[in-house]
Amino acid sequence: MGNINRRQFVAGSAAAAGAMASAMAMPRTARGADDAWGDLKGRLVYDGEAPERKKLVVDKDVECCGKFDIRDESLMVGEDGGLQNVYIYVRTKDVAVCPDLEKSCKEQVLLDNRDCIFMPHCMSIWASKQKYYIVNSDPVAQNVAFTPLLDTPANIILPVGGDATWHFKRAQRAPVPIACNYHPWESAYVLPLDHPYVAITGKDGSFTIPKLPVGELEFQIWHERVTYLDTKDWPKGRMKMKLQAGVNDLGIIKIPPSALEK
Amino acid sequence: MEEFFGTPDEPRLPDGTGLNLKLIETAAGPVAGNADGTEQGLFRQHCAACHGITGDGAGAMATTFDPYPRDFRRGTFKYTTTRADAKPLRSDLRRTLLRGIPGTGMPSFAELPPEQLDALVEYVIYLSLRGETEQYLVQLVVDEGEYLPLGVDAKEMVLEDAVLWVAEQWAVVEQNPQEYVVPVPPRPVCGSDAERAASIARGKELYASKDAQCAQCHGPTGAGDGEDERIYDDWNKPKKGVTPEQTAKLARLYTLPLQRLRARDFRDGAFHGGSSPEDLYRRIHIGIKGTPMPAAGPQPGAKGVFTPEDIWDVVNYILSLSGEK
Repeated sequence: MGNINRRQFVAGSAAAAGAMASAMAMPRTARGADDAWGDLKGRLVYDGEAPERKKLVVDKDVECCGKFDIRDESLMVGEDGGLQNVYIYVRTKDVAVCPDLEKSCKEQVLLDNRDCIFMPHCMSIWASKQKYYIVNSDPVAQNVAFTPLLDTPANIILPVGGDATWHFKRAQRAPVPIACNYHPWESAYVLPLDHPYVAITGKDGSFTIPKLPVGELEFQIWHERVTYLDTKDWPKGRMKMKLQAGVNDLGIIKIPPSALEK
Repeated sequence: MEEFFGTPDEPRLPDGTGLNLKLIETAAGPVAGNADGTEQGLFRQHCAACHGITGDGAGAMATTFDPYPRDFRRGTFKYTTTRADAKPLRSDLRRTLLRGIPGTGMPSFAELPPEQLDALVEYVIYLSLRGETEQYLVQLVVDEGEYLPLGVDAKEMVLEDAVLWVAEQWAVVEQNPQEYVVPVPPRPVCGSDAERAASIARGKELYASKDAQCAQCHGPTGAGDGEDERIYDDWNKPKKGVTPEQTAKLARLYTLPLQRLRARDFRDGAFHGGSSPEDLYRRIHIGIKGTPMPAAGPQPGAKGVFTPEDIWDVVNYILSLSGEK
């Protein structure tokens, strides 16, 4: 959005407000369909013995939540060593977005309250295009609370069978923690971005970010234990690379356990 | 920061914030009287001892209060007529100045002339805008270290992404109050004692319901003694770690020690956001921003747990606990 629009809007011009709304709806720095796009893929592996996930203290709504084996999700390592729940996202400002992604973008991102935990544990959202749909599948009331920087704080009650829709007004530089004021053990993260270029590693540690613009891009790598995943190759959890058309495969990346300790 | 906002003696604003610099100048600076009888330095005269000169809520008197004086820098204000996802109206801040916050250290400033109240409201918004920008900058410095992303003019980015962004959040509410103010439907008239008792009984049931979870903090009888004793507001939460050692380590980063939030004891009858039935209706419908007290009424995108009729029954129940009608 051009700054002139925002200034005029704040000063109270209705016409400028309309201009701002249309500016927000415009796709950013569109490239032609013929331009080349590339995928980035790789697999993160925990280079050590998978840590034991501690059982969490469940002392509220025990008659319902007490029957679940609720464990710490802050460091999830799969059977094959895959490091789960690592965010990899484009940090370069005003990155060009492939028109295909605009078209295929899903309408919403789902956060479910199920078995007295948040599911999934890590999410991302294209803030200007997707809504955040929050449901409660548990037989007890749930609460979803988060405070994104300079955005509206949320503190939503979800009765049994309840749902809610939330819109992030702006992108964030890092994932935002989500809490439940009723059940203190519950935790999750959501990353609102102004583009679709983000992946969260799956159970096997693999990730793919499709249709990135070719050329130099900077990525941020983030994990909840340490925030920025600082390694020898990724100082401050950052990686610059020149994307080529087609598949750019980083292969297997071993993450030493020390990189996940604060 | 100084380039955008000036100093406490000489405040300044970038173009386009929609704030009234003239009013801000009246509230800023050292305390002084002018030949024409007007006064300067209103914030330092009336507010800074508790709220601090930068509005960080850590003035010289702050530690003597529970709850602490408001830290304006988060941009969150507890008692508003606007819905849960919106900034307050100027009239909300003005109402707090006029009646104070009963049961806290915040006195009423009803004796001040209207133009001075306007100046203080504008100054509080100015400090809040400055504070949110400061938060953004701190995050930026932590994130970026010594360099900024390629091809970005840092100053323009801060102006666009923080200062004018936050100003816009205030402006949209002021420009479209009909969209953001939560309407309070007329309180149903209870024609007889039996009708009143029935409403109170319904309210009691709703209060105790598992969906609303009121009792978890406020206790089964509304005495403020729920099982959740360790509750904190958004200003204190960041000082809290998982272990006592972590808490001690985090607390060192803050001027004021960690302070627990106390859920209201309804038997007292003194409500921070106002004790009229309409005030209580809003607290339940909108929630209390920056605290674990959620919005129980319908909001855009969320049905909530209470209908407006339910909320009036709960208000009647709460008022009955302090013997009010």
